[in-house]
Amino acid sequence: MSDVPLRSQSSTTEIPTPLLPLLSILSSAFLFVQDRFRRIPGSPIIVRYIQSSYQDDPYRSLLEVLLLAFALRTLLKGRTREEGSGKNFIKLTEKEIDDLVDEWQPVPLIDAPGEIDEETLDSIPTIYGPNGIKIKLSPGGKPVLNMATPNWTGMMENEKMKEVAITTLRSYGVGTCGPAGFYGYLDVHMRFEAEVAAFLGVEACIMYSQGFAAISSVIPAFAKRGDIIVADRGVNFAIQKGLQISRSQIRFYAHGDMKDLERVLQQVEREQKRKGSKLTKKFIVAEGVFENDGMMLDLPKVCELKKKYKYRLILDETQSFGMIGKHGRGVTEFYNFPAKEVDMIVGSMATSLATGGGFCAGSEVVCQHQRINSSASVFSASLPALLATASSTAVSLLQSNPSLLTSLATNIAAFRHHLSKIEPVSIPEQDSNSSPSSQANKDAIIHVPSHPSSALIHIFLLNPPDTMEAEERLLQEVVDELLSTSGVLITRARRLRGQEQFEPEPSLKVCISGAMSKKDVEKAAQGLRSALIKVAGKKR
Amino acid sequence: MPRSSRRSSGQSTPTNIGSPPSKPLFPTVSLRSSPPSSHSALSDPPKSARTSLMNVLTRPRPVTSISTTTALSIDGSPLTPEDEFFSDQSTISSYASSVMSGMSSRQASSEELAKLYKDYLVKPFVNTKSTIKHSEFGHDNNPNWRWTSQWNPNEPIHVAEEPQPAYTVLLMTYVSYIILIVFGHMRDFLGKRFYPANYAHLQPHNGYAALNSDFDSFYTRRLKKRLDDCFSRPTTGVAGRTIVCYDRVSNDEHDTFQMTGTTTRALNVSSYNYLGFASSTGGCADAAEQAIRKYGISGAGTRHDASTLDLHKQCEGLVARFVGGESAMVVSMGYATNSTTLPALVNKGCLVISDEFNHASIRFGVRLSGASTRVFKHNDMTALESLLRECISQGQPRTHRPWKKILVVVEGLYSMEGSLVNLPKMLELKRRYKFYLYLDEAHSVGAMGPNGRGVCDYFGIDPREVDILMGTFTKSFGASGGYISGSKELIDRLRLRSHATTYAESMTPPVLAQIIASMSSIMGVAPPLAAPVQDESDTLSIVSRPAAYGPAPSGALPAWMNLPTVLLNGTEGRERLRRLAFNSRYLSSGLRKLGFIVYGHRDSPIIPLLVYHPAKMRLFSNCMLHRIGADKTPIVVVVVAYPATPLITSRVRFCLSASHTKNDIDLLLRACDEVGDLLDLKYATQTMSVEEVIANAEELVAANF
Ligand SMILES: Cc1ncc(COP(=O)(O)O)c(C=O)c1O
Repeated sequence: MSDVPLRSQSSTTEIPTPLLPLLSILSSAFLFVQDRFRRIPGSPIIVRYIQSSYQDDPYRSLLEVLLLAFALRTLLKGRTREEGSGKNFIKLTEKEIDDLVDEWQPVPLIDAPGEIDEETLDSIPTIYGPNGIKIKLSPGGKPVLNMATPNWTGMMENEKMKEVAITTLRSYGVGTCGPAGFYGYLDVHMRFEAEVAAFLGVEACIMYSQGFAAISSVIPAFAKRGDIIVADRGVNFAIQKGLQISRSQIRFYAHGDMKDLERVLQQVEREQKRKGSKLTKKFIVAEGVFENDGMMLDLPKVCELKKKYKYRLILDETQSFGMIGKHGRGVTEFYNFPAKEVDMIVGSMATSLATGGGFCAGSEVVCQHQRINSSASVFSASLPALLATASSTAVSLLQSNPSLLTSLATNIAAFRHHLSKIEPVSIPEQDSNSSPSSQANKDAIIHVPSHPSSALIHIFLLNPPDTMEAEERLLQEVVDELLSTSGVLITRARRLRGQEQFEPEPSLKVCISGAMSKKDVEKAAQGLRSALIKVAGKKR
Repeated sequence: MPRSSRRSSGQSTPTNIGSPPSKPLFPTVSLRSSPPSSHSALSDPPKSARTSLMNVLTRPRPVTSISTTTALSIDGSPLTPEDEFFSDQSTISSYASSVMSGMSSRQASSEELAKLYKDYLVKPFVNTKSTIKHSEFGHDNNPNWRWTSQWNPNEPIHVAEEPQPAYTVLLMTYVSYIILIVFGHMRDFLGKRFYPANYAHLQPHNGYAALNSDFDSFYTRRLKKRLDDCFSRPTTGVAGRTIVCYDRVSNDEHDTFQMTGTTTRALNVSSYNYLGFASSTGGCADAAEQAIRKYGISGAGTRHDASTLDLHKQCEGLVARFVGGESAMVVSMGYATNSTTLPALVNKGCLVISDEFNHASIRFGVRLSGASTRVFKHNDMTALESLLRECISQGQPRTHRPWKKILVVVEGLYSMEGSLVNLPKMLELKRRYKFYLYLDEAHSVGAMGPNGRGVCDYFGIDPREVDILMGTFTKSFGASGGYISGSKELIDRLRLRSHATTYAESMTPPVLAQIIASMSSIMGVAPPLAAPVQDESDTLSIVSRPAAYGPAPSGALPAWMNLPTVLLNGTEGRERLRRLAFNSRYLSSGLRKLGFIVYGHRDSPIIPLLVYHPAKMRLFSNCMLHRIGADKTPIVVVVVAYPATPLITSRVRFCLSASHTKNDIDLLLRACDEVGDLLDLKYATQTMSVEEVIANAEELVAANF
């Protein structure tokens, strides 16, 4: 009990007795005022505003206070006649309110199911037993080839990862029972973060417990009201939600169109100049390989533009991490571009690493900021330890086995080759602006905009039926046909119709894996071709 | 010894719930008052297995009826020795307290104490046969240290007025903050001039605005950073009864931390491990291992593409049964469960009325939905009612059109306050004002209620009266992820509309197995019954009454999952529920008697102890880790300050667990007493000494106050 520094702390509260009543009156008054003030909506904004303006120019603050007092007086005069909250408030008697309450009928909690809804629910396959390359869709059923789950390098059935996970389970249990701030930050998390940072060649990394939540929380952690975000029109749903919640000023540029990006950047610059507004944070948000169509970002060009116009780049590599590049480092490796140049790289362990969770890699400052300010990281339990160690194992596998990605490339090429007999050869590379029809072969019924290196392949119909529902239904028919004739499971891209920013065209989604045998891939491509011709071809 | 009425079996339970019960009282109530004797159960052959199982599940185990439990092992064979550790009636854990109190009366030397507590965290005081590590789940077999978490209508759900400290305390708190802020600004002012490099990343540079301006980050840099050694302590191993923290030091005022390479094992009263299912050993971990071997570890892909496993469906079926909903869906992250479901429920033209202390994930989800939001004062049902009256009568702003629907979003148990929602009153309001109710049971599911099913169970309310039940698996179940439960129609619609099912990764197999195993061990698994009796007149039938919180049907478990008998017959689950309830009530009552200001309900396993002064938070946390008394067993605690709490009510938050023994709580009380005296934290009046509190634990728990 003789800790000296502690003693001095406790003595600060000793106050001479005669002062007590005075102090208590003062503090109660203060409390009252503070409480009232806190109840005013927007009071924190006012406080911040006053603080910042005082920093800039104390005299201006004084002037503003006087002005405010004047404004308040005028307002109060007008307000006295009108009670309640807001000038739109209608004063009602208790009886009237009771009647209104009785009268009010809410709409049902959920809307009635649409026609397509039931079909969609029914069309969701259930896998019996383990997920992987060959799966069973009924207990004891025939194995089918799974081309609907992202499993680019075949990590899903990796025995080594399972062993590591079990070892971890035996010393860490399953759940972490707390967010990173409250004893949920495990050594295995630190290790994974360091490994990913080293793998990508950046300073630091931070883990999230879900891939989807990562990007939609990273964006609002940095972009606030008043900031500017320029985003690709084709970004995935998670990014759209992140953009929406950031409350920043959002501009879209045409999907994959670098000229349009530059146009938007110039336009923003002009507007800022004209308004003479103060310097704000500006971000470009795009995906490495786009989830919605498999196209790849022209990273060098974007980086050039971002430097020129002083933007920061938030790059979502949910799909491309572990899929693109010699070792699967993503588009930075593909373009041989230092990952350090990208300010934030967001990825997911659930796609290529076949575990779960997400991460954001970048500079030390960027990651540290998220540990305190990113909602999904601060307010959610950290990732189970066994998923972290299994992810670590997967990263080291990627690093040491470039063959994982070469076999993936072979399979992609084989698949595309067999499919190309009915697709126009449209390869969106540097000069991606040539429209597909310019080189279309005349039998074309589909269009595949996905990048030739992308294991995620989206197939769009060239002459779709008039309505989206009909098109979705047609695509589902292709899926069912393929499953029943060739035993290959693909899926139509599921969408949240009505909730998307820009409704994406319906498409078929195919996930190629390097762990599939070449024969299987070829057979699948042929099967898909005949299914497409049979179902979609006859409609023309 | 005065025994609480609640501890004896077969007593009557709260009867009057809310206003006129429109339906017969909730089944659990009638179940409890059914004759508990095992003889009567056996006299009724066709239902015997089920009935006696029900008895085990609903009735606190009487001290003398071990034989009933034994008779219940599924295959009829006697329990194996390792299953039997629960039946050991010794009061081993009281041993330490008695030694302690005996010694303190004759001024125990610190060496004696230090010796007694040397291996305290890893070695139980006596040998046990259990395979679960004592460091992860403490052995505490005294049947008196059990309690049933259930609403007692004689105890108010919320205290009428929160206890307030003396004004001087509040004043000094403000003064502390003012000093911190003034000094912070002075340091910034000088720092910017003398060490510009340290401020470079906070300033616009090279045409880029700062990612995090010095102004925005002032609080983080100048106030929070001073406490940084209390946050994000790196750990390793299981967050069970104890936790191993890495020791670290900082030489640059918490800018960076260096690991010293050593670790400290500390008593863990910080993790949300309410039922002690976070464990690397035992039935749940075995089930998770089996799942990895059978299914792998991948949650790759979304539920809608091809990542719905049979295991997901089994888990969802079990969750629905557990919480008493018709149907359920699981999401791979608890936070995302809220943030991706709420936008699917409400949109523009709808109104969300939200408690002011709702979790960040709820606010995130509501903001995404585009619905209008109003906030009411925490747990203030009068404020809610007047807000409802205003909103319904005024309609939408400007147009005055009626709202399409109103969704009230509340939590069952608030994670920073330890307060319970006033569910009976809430449902009364719901009937009158026709709003929909979204109940986030992240902390209460598993932790509250006689059957561990959350606040509905606690209050004896039919869960189907709540439209949307949400909860997470991160807490009581030692897993991760969350669920939504409700009517089948609702869940089917959400499967199509929720962002998570279409775009987020699915839950991984080991996590699913952990959930299934822990959940079914709380419920107990019914032995395969000859065709379940579908008797309409049988109001007690578990099968016909999902809301009755009966055991899980054996078909609900995957066939490959082999759980040990103590998990299957529900004894262990029930034991955990009773232990948690006792620990919570004991600590909460004890701290109050010691003169601390403690928020929240006494049945809540979350116990916030108010500290107020920012500086005392750090001191408290460090004095618990580096103890000052004779016994040096380290304790890790969570301190919470603004912005998670209002500015002045900084607090320490204890999260108790079924894995804590009574002796652990005694130890914690002693530690708080020491530190409380040293830091002058006993802002209310102390009515008992710490040794009195410890000696009267059972009376304190049983008493109403
Ligand atoms: C009320 C509430 N909802 C949701 C969550 C998020 O759960 P998880 O940690 O599983 O993401 C929490 C966790 O702290 C919570 O307290």
